Amino acid sequence: MAIEILGMSVEVSAAWLIWILPFAAALIMPGIGKLSKKSTGYVAVGFALMSAVSAVSLIPVALEGHEVHSQIMWIEALGLKAGVLADPLSIIMANVVGWISFLIMIYSTGYMKGDKDITRFWFWMLFFIGSMQLIVLSDNLLQVFFGWEGVGLASYALISFWYRDKKKDHVGVEGRTVLGMLDYYSPTHAGMKAFIMTKVGDVMMIAGMLLIFLFAGTFGFKELVEDTAWATTMSAQGLLVPAFLLLFGGAMGKSAQFPLNEWLLEAMTGPTAVSALIHAATMVKAGVFLVARIGPIVFALGAAGIMADQFFEIIAWVGGITALLLATQGMVNPEIKKVLAYSTGSQIGYMMMALGVAGLSHQYVDGYTAGFFHLISHAMFKASLFMAAGFLLHSIGSRFMTDMGGLRKQMKKTYAFMWAAGLGLMGAPFITTGFWSKDAIFASVYESGSEWALPLYIIAVVTAVITAFYTTRMIGMVFFGKKSKHIQKMEEEGHHIHDAPLSMWIPYGILAVLTIGIGLIGLSAEEGLHHMFTEYLEDSFGIHSAHVAAEASILPGFLQGLNPVALGSSLVAFATGIGLGYIFYIGRWVDPVKFVNSNIVFYAIHKFLLNRWYLNAIVYWCFVTTPLWLARWVSRYFEKKVIDYGMNDGVQKAVGWSAKVIQGTQTGVSQSYLFVFGAGLLFVVLILLI
Amino acid sequence: MEYALLQAVFLPLLLSPVAYIIGRKLGPAPAMWFTFGILLYTTILIINAALSGTVEEHYPWTEQFGEFGFMLDGLASPFAIMIYVLSTILAIYSKPYMLHKFHQQFEEEQKMKVSENGQTSIVESTALSNYVNAKSGLYFALYLVFAMGMLGTVLSTNLIEFYIFFEVMLIPGFFLVALWGDGPRRKIGLMFLFWTHAGAVVLLLGFLMIGLTLGSFDFADIKESEIPADIVMYAAIAIAIGLGVKLAVFMYHIWLPYVHGAAPTPISALLSPAMIGIGAYGIFRLIVEFLPATFSELAIWFHIWGLVTMIYGGAMALMQDDLKRFLAYSSISQMGYLLFGIGSMSSLGLAGAEMMYVTHAIGKGILFMMAGIIIVRVGTRSFSKLGGLAGKMPITAVCAVIGALTIMGVPPTAGFMGEWIMFYGALETAISEGSTVRAVAFGLGLVATALTMSYMLWMLKRVFFGKLPENLQHVKEGSWYMTIPMMILAGFSIVVGIYPDIFLKTIIPYMNGVMGV
Repeated sequence: MAIEILGMSVEVSAAWLIWILPFAAALIMPGIGKLSKKSTGYVAVGFALMSAVSAVSLIPVALEGHEVHSQIMWIEALGLKAGVLADPLSIIMANVVGWISFLIMIYSTGYMKGDKDITRFWFWMLFFIGSMQLIVLSDNLLQVFFGWEGVGLASYALISFWYRDKKKDHVGVEGRTVLGMLDYYSPTHAGMKAFIMTKVGDVMMIAGMLLIFLFAGTFGFKELVEDTAWATTMSAQGLLVPAFLLLFGGAMGKSAQFPLNEWLLEAMTGPTAVSALIHAATMVKAGVFLVARIGPIVFALGAAGIMADQFFEIIAWVGGITALLLATQGMVNPEIKKVLAYSTGSQIGYMMMALGVAGLSHQYVDGYTAGFFHLISHAMFKASLFMAAGFLLHSIGSRFMTDMGGLRKQMKKTYAFMWAAGLGLMGAPFITTGFWSKDAIFASVYESGSEWALPLYIIAVVTAVITAFYTTRMIGMVFFGKKSKHIQKMEEEGHHIHDAPLSMWIPYGILAVLTIGIGLIGLSAEEGLHHMFTEYLEDSFGIHSAHVAAEASILPGFLQGLNPVALGSSLVAFATGIGLGYIFYIGRWVDPVKFVNSNIVFYAIHKFLLNRWYLNAIVYWCFVTTPLWLARWVSRYFEKKVIDYGMNDGVQKAVGWSAKVIQGTQTGVSQSYLFVFGAGLLFVVLILLI
Repeated sequence: MEYALLQAVFLPLLLSPVAYIIGRKLGPAPAMWFTFGILLYTTILIINAALSGTVEEHYPWTEQFGEFGFMLDGLASPFAIMIYVLSTILAIYSKPYMLHKFHQQFEEEQKMKVSENGQTSIVESTALSNYVNAKSGLYFALYLVFAMGMLGTVLSTNLIEFYIFFEVMLIPGFFLVALWGDGPRRKIGLMFLFWTHAGAVVLLLGFLMIGLTLGSFDFADIKESEIPADIVMYAAIAIAIGLGVKLAVFMYHIWLPYVHGAAPTPISALLSPAMIGIGAYGIFRLIVEFLPATFSELAIWFHIWGLVTMIYGGAMALMQDDLKRFLAYSSISQMGYLLFGIGSMSSLGLAGAEMMYVTHAIGKGILFMMAGIIIVRVGTRSFSKLGGLAGKMPITAVCAVIGALTIMGVPPTAGFMGEWIMFYGALETAISEGSTVRAVAFGLGLVATALTMSYMLWMLKRVFFGKLPENLQHVKEGSWYMTIPMMILAGFSIVVGIYPDIFLKTIIPYMNGVMGV
């Protein structure tokens, strides 16, 4: 234990290095880019690896249930400290972020090969990872906010990475409009949209932070738990729940939860490696992590008699609504990355739902573990799916699934891995991580005993059906059926369609294999996590979990401890979803286009979903078009007429006119100014004489 | 060091004729380095003095007015440092920009001469260099006086002294705009003179009300309790209006878009970040510090006025097509933040507002420099004719993004540090007073930051991103004279953003003292 670096123990320095290393690498990146563009990739991947290794070195700390907390003085004038807090929650999260990012960085070396702006790409990727790790490891809200805005900034820069707005980098169908709003976005537009929309969440978050700081006098997570007098005062004034809901507003923005969900789809204009990073490791996971950070603080107040049920109810409902809303839209979209994006929003909704429901039940740790476990499994399969989709885009040169089809022979590896990861997303029973984590969410919602349990449960199951359906649809459209005209044309022109190069398939292969591999031992993995979080919540927050004696159920031995209802619905949902998908897109027994057009109801539903429930258009009408119209009106009639013409010209003319009268000269307006100036000087002189 | 502040203020004034002569005889580069040298020396004096805590110097003056003094305390030092730091680095930036301008004007004048004579004359290169030398001498001489006027205002310790310096910065400002501005420059120069002078006269009225009732103009003698209540209220309102014109708050912002739009860009980069904020300095010093009881009555109105200015300036910025006018409206909006913070009436709110002055100076300084580079290199300021320049001028683009982030208040740039402290102050008062108006103002103020972000990002998109127009294919990056000053400020923004103690350490104790915390 005696090994020390700069006076800090190895654990402490590791906790700092996890987020400092990526930033340091980002800082030196422009210099390295000047020296040699080729080596930028190696440096970037190397630093990402070192950061991930630092995260691994802390795992023993988490397993022992300890924590590392280190602080330094930051803003002395306000007595604020900066610090890192590596507790089981943040250590696990740092590992997920670190390793997934590392794999995505390796993938990027292949995906971005030959891009002339590669230095800028690495700079922002590293900045992105550093900011995310900063969020994960910070011990106070103010520092979290630095990371929070950092990921916002990095996402802005990376979504509009191809800032020249070439046609191929757009998303949406050219010329398509919804309620008069164009549904076709350029990268620069999409970047702005993401930054501004998440800023709306950030505004809420900062209001919440300041409210808490006002009463608690600290931003620190540890300090907030230690002394809860602030909560009593806030609760008495009715500000506790609003303050934490405002914080949750920030999470809604970053995690793309309803109603701040619309930016996520346009974020697909970025390079696919970026999409993978945003969806699997950083950005959208930041919101879930924040809820996991602050949730226990709020729940622990319950022991002091301060109830904040509305907080958890709203989280659960926002999650539930988002899960369903985005899943339905994912069923109809023709662009492969957008389908995956809808899916992310929907899956994040699941996580939020679990974290919310946790606070409404007596067994906080159940929902908490379920939500977090789903975060981990989602990170794996979604990163894999995105990277595979990125390769498809790369080789086919189109973002539309209708331009693909019949690729299973030419891309065997990609085909296999997409199935594996896709099964994870669908929740294929017993063999995938997705199944176990989703089942845990079902069980926690079902068992929560909350008054909202039933409606939320129904939403969860319906969403699971839809998820299985759209995932099958995606795989079916890409790999099954006949080759599309686009591919036929490519082949005629002499393009040889081949499978992914090594640097690309290895990362998504690893994650796909892990999805199945960890899935096989999923139940015990979940139990391990459950055990760790039980201790963590007990030690850090004083949240006790009752030991529920495992009831003997009708299930066979290896499934003992699972909720039979949840398990049953899980199986039914999977079977229904994949079955429907099979009929339309793999077996191709029914043509989906003909089916949709067969009657007006299906047609209307399809259109409603394709138009994103009209929500995007409404957002644009309310928050872009109308304010701009108002501003134009004010500019035209108030600024130009009243201020400019009325006051500016008017007063000057009046003065000029009076100057003429007084002086009896007519030398023009300019003299009037001199007149006033002279009057002022005269004034001074007069006083001098007094 | 003795006489440090006296030197800092009067050295530039005394040496300005020398700058003129050097420019005339030796040309723009020596004049620029001379100006830079003086300002660098005086900046070091100021920073050195600021590091040693509060510094006061007093010199005898006339019987009627009292002492002629300088004071650099926790309030004045951030202002003083930013004014001189900006002036120093903008001196370097001035050279390429003004040369570009002189050449343009020379050509125009030649054309006019030619058309008058009706015959072509051969333009001799000596004529051009003589012209440029004379003009640059004059420019740097006026520049020095302008800078010292601003510094003198924030250091003065006497109402009349304050007023004199307040007017002194106006005169070179007028000439700089009227001689080398864009568009109808003489008309706009006069407009600048007219409105700010009118404001100054109102300010003087307020000063006289106070000074004549008390029988002294020294800051040290101003005691609110000795002035009759009605007079003090009128005086405070007069001062607020007078300074409000300088600050260009809503309804008094008339002159600002014109002047910022027309002024030569290095001067815009001084006017907007450094000069207009002096209005806020005046409110801090004269109303918050000296008239606290009156301030507490007026605070809520400042708060609302600031809020309206924030939103109005932002909304108008969205509507601009001219880059510099856009920045001008953005400045109006940012001055609204300052006034909003002042109106928060809490120690941290005020500290945040002062910090906003510093961060706005950094951010807007960068953005105006960016505008200047675009004017010199591209030759247009219209958004509709720009686009996609990031690939052509990467340094400018990166700096502009940092500048924009500073104005938006996104960490790790400096802007965030001012913003959150200020909003915290606003919230603190809203909660402790239980005031709905203030709570709503706090919420709307935060929403206004989203507006700020929208217009800034939209500007960046229209200038630097998107498709590059055909005629801009051969645009080059600005010269090092222009980019290095910008990079220095951009780096400074991030340093302050991560380590705000540089300024907060002096600001917060002062504000705590004033608010009696």
